[in-house]
Amino acid sequence: MADQATFADDAMEFAPQLYSAAMRMTRNPADAEDLVQETFLKAYRAYDSFQAGTNLKAWLYRILTNTYINKYRKDSRRPSEVDLGEVEDLYLYRRIGSEESAEVSRTTEDRVLDGLVESDIKKAVEDLPENFRIPVLLADLEGLSYQEIADILDIPIGTVMSRLHRGRKAMQKALWEFASNRGLVPEGAERP
Amino acid sequence: MKQDDHADAGGNNCDEALERLYEYLDSELDQVTSEGIRAHLDDCGYCTGGFDFEKRLKVVVRERLSEEVPQQFIVRLRHALDQETSQI
Repeated sequence: MADQATFADDAMEFAPQLYSAAMRMTRNPADAEDLVQETFLKAYRAYDSFQAGTNLKAWLYRILTNTYINKYRKDSRRPSEVDLGEVEDLYLYRRIGSEESAEVSRTTEDRVLDGLVESDIKKAVEDLPENFRIPVLLADLEGLSYQEIADILDIPIGTVMSRLHRGRKAMQKALWEFASNRGLVPEGAERP
Repeated sequence: MKQDDHADAGGNNCDEALERLYEYLDSELDQVTSEGIRAHLDDCGYCTGGFDFEKRLKVVVRERLSEEVPQQFIVRLRHALDQETSQI
């Protein structure tokens, strides 16, 4: 049992990270602030049910995610289940190579990775269907483990893995289009 | 020689390594499986290139997805928690 009196001291350090996730979930600052504040108030009220010494960060993410799903998705309690087609492995890497050599030069890699601006990456994530976007955010932005994500979303670990894999590949497909439109890829590289 | 499905000395091939790419980069594999993949990477330039790129991309994604939290919001959040506390 955790002590409510220490909640602010224990939990405030996670506020900046939760805010980043909330921004990518709600896509705007006002809703992100509301979502984080609601998460903290709910967590505070339920803090005596939190097992002190266990994973506070994962517990806060669970509240954040459930609050988001319940509040900002009006039509259903669960994330909408959308399927993404299969995308091959190393989608982006395979496309930025040249015809002549399979291995991609460091210069090309740098140009693509430096040239993809913040708004490209954010859009690639925000455009993912929700059942893929949330696992991708929890893993790639927050660095949570597969097991933590499975617990947060109440889905089997195998489902976490497949959504993560497919979500990341779908992101790469979007990033390829951005890179290609910005002229970051070599002449002759495969077009989308 | 793109995506050549050759087996390396340890009997691991590119398909097997690529199938485990994300688990490997996310540090989700047990030690033995992880070592098997490392052995394959030592022998395979193409996979090494691909794995390295994915690793760099992962760092870039994380950096560029982060959002600076407004300090004003942190102040408001603390205030909201204080108010909640004082109600009890």
